[in-house]
Amino acid sequence: MMDIIGAVFSVTFLAMVIRQMTPLLLATLGGLIADLSGALNVALEGMMLISALTAVLVSVHYPWYVAVLAGMSAGSALGLMMAFFHLRMRADIILVGFAVNIVATGGTVFALSLATGGDKGTSINLVSKAIPAVNLPFLRDIPVVGQPLHGMLSGHSVLTWFAFASVFGLWFFLYRMRGGLWLRAVGEYPAAPAAAGIKVDTVRMWGLIASGAFAGLAGAQLAMFNYVGFTRDMTAGRGFIALGAVLLGARHPVGACVAALLFGFFDALSFVIATRAQNFPAELIQAMPFAVTIVALIFFAWRAQKAKALRGA
Amino acid sequence: MTQFYTELSRALLALAVALVVALLIIIATSSDPANAFTQLLTAPLTSKRTIGYWMDDVAKLTLTGLAFSLVFQARQFSMGVQGQVYIGGMFAAWVALSPLGTTVLAIPLGLIAGMIGGAAYGFIPGYAKAKFGANEIVSSLMLNYIAIKVVNWVTRAHLAPEGSGQLMSPPFPPEATFPALVSGTRLDLGLVIALVMVIVVWFTLYRTRWGLKLRLVGDNATFAAYAGIKSNAVMIAAMTAAGAIGGLLGSVFVQGRAYGKITENFDGNLAFEGILIAIVAKNRPLAVPFVALAYGYLRQGAQLMGNRTDVPNEMIAVVQALVILLVASSFTIPGRRALARLLRRKEAAQ
Repeated sequence: MMDIIGAVFSVTFLAMVIRQMTPLLLATLGGLIADLSGALNVALEGMMLISALTAVLVSVHYPWYVAVLAGMSAGSALGLMMAFFHLRMRADIILVGFAVNIVATGGTVFALSLATGGDKGTSINLVSKAIPAVNLPFLRDIPVVGQPLHGMLSGHSVLTWFAFASVFGLWFFLYRMRGGLWLRAVGEYPAAPAAAGIKVDTVRMWGLIASGAFAGLAGAQLAMFNYVGFTRDMTAGRGFIALGAVLLGARHPVGACVAALLFGFFDALSFVIATRAQNFPAELIQAMPFAVTIVALIFFAWRAQKAKALRGA
Repeated sequence: MTQFYTELSRALLALAVALVVALLIIIATSSDPANAFTQLLTAPLTSKRTIGYWMDDVAKLTLTGLAFSLVFQARQFSMGVQGQVYIGGMFAAWVALSPLGTTVLAIPLGLIAGMIGGAAYGFIPGYAKAKFGANEIVSSLMLNYIAIKVVNWVTRAHLAPEGSGQLMSPPFPPEATFPALVSGTRLDLGLVIALVMVIVVWFTLYRTRWGLKLRLVGDNATFAAYAGIKSNAVMIAAMTAAGAIGGLLGSVFVQGRAYGKITENFDGNLAFEGILIAIVAKNRPLAVPFVALAYGYLRQGAQLMGNRTDVPNEMIAVVQALVILLVASSFTIPGRRALARLLRRKEAAQ
């Protein structure tokens, strides 16, 4: 037990938290954009899965950044498709999202088996590339805090830094730019922006496309950094956890970041427990992030409800 | 009645489009596309055994379709059927592996235990939503993952023979396994249970006061509230009742002839496909078995195609997604308007 506590308070653990939270944070930001525009994007899971496979397959032949862009484009394309069926064909967004998830679970296995010549499980036989890590050797030169700081911040993927920058970027866009105001207005009360001459459907469409782009980056990070290579169902519910993280983060970029951090912590903890306490059942450790989501979800919903009652609504 | 035909023709059109796309994919990927497509369309009928597989799927798809329909009719997007299936299966397995498992009570008690487990599990997201306003889509999805992990753990660590490293329980005693309706096939009591449940759900929804309330809440919760209906209570009850059906499906899974034991990941994602069944059936219980019949055929065809040809059965995912998208979309069938105009002109000419 002391062993585990010691491991949790180590620098490597913090580095692991950051590593585990990166794909979640990217997906959560994607979910946040869609949610603010008034469309609950339940397809994050499927978008991540499809773009992860796309990124891996592209990285076999092209440099890593092309692969990341390909993953991002795959996500955006799915977002555009959802927008078409939801906004033009008037299909329910939840059902459209589940259609994407279904095509993702089966379709990626199908595409994987075509690409590998029959292997339905992993892309292990394909030589795919990884996203380069950003090393910060100069941090070590700082006195006292240099060593731990280096251990914590160095060696993360380019996308990790991009994800944290996006938290700020998205906050700036949403609360300081006109486009962000439109997006929030469309999600809050579409009649008002419509009366002001803003094309509600166009704003929602771009919201879904951006949502897909972030989910695509999450997929690329997962399959080109956290793991190198694609495995069937490798997202393992992260898209749905991201959906919960949006709600937990009180639909704010910074909140989303904190929520992703929370899940990154439990993800990393499950690794630590799995290696240090082998007699603890692995399944229960894996169930932990989901249980935490439910508890937190209920708690935050309850608090929001109370706040609403206090305002006399 | 005209609405019925519109819906039916739309569903059939969606199916036709999806099959054409499937054909194109098969042509693009298979070395023998003619054989693969023939297998997809005819394989389930080739033998008594394959018909049994098909019927087994139909029973299970009907039950999960009913569970989703019930929830969707109350306009709740609870996605928890999969978790309920696991919990129900675990409860039924406990009964079957207990001393009761060798008595005549094994089957009915297993079914009841499954229903109780599923109902309890369906109650949670309903209560969390009604009481705290927690989003039921997210909470029910989380509960699915938790149920799968926990049941897999119980199966591996407690129900599997000790130290065997197996991922399944020993076979249930014969008293706890459904008898075959046709010997040598998987056609068992599950199909009867599914059909009985169709009637029960239909009767509840359309012939009882509670069903009316549920449908009113689903149509317009605000209006229902003005009419004095406690929509929160109805919502929780709908999710609990759907949970009971989900749990029942869990018992049908583990006690059916296909397994006769509980294994890790036993539902093979079938429970989730109830979404598709419910959407295509437009949440109407009486339409559910027919959709299950058609969809189960396609599913089994894909499975057999996957085994017998070079086209992986996962291809069917594309067909599934297309059917959902096309049925959920509202579009007018091309040519209908032109036809109507033509007919009107004819009337005008007379």
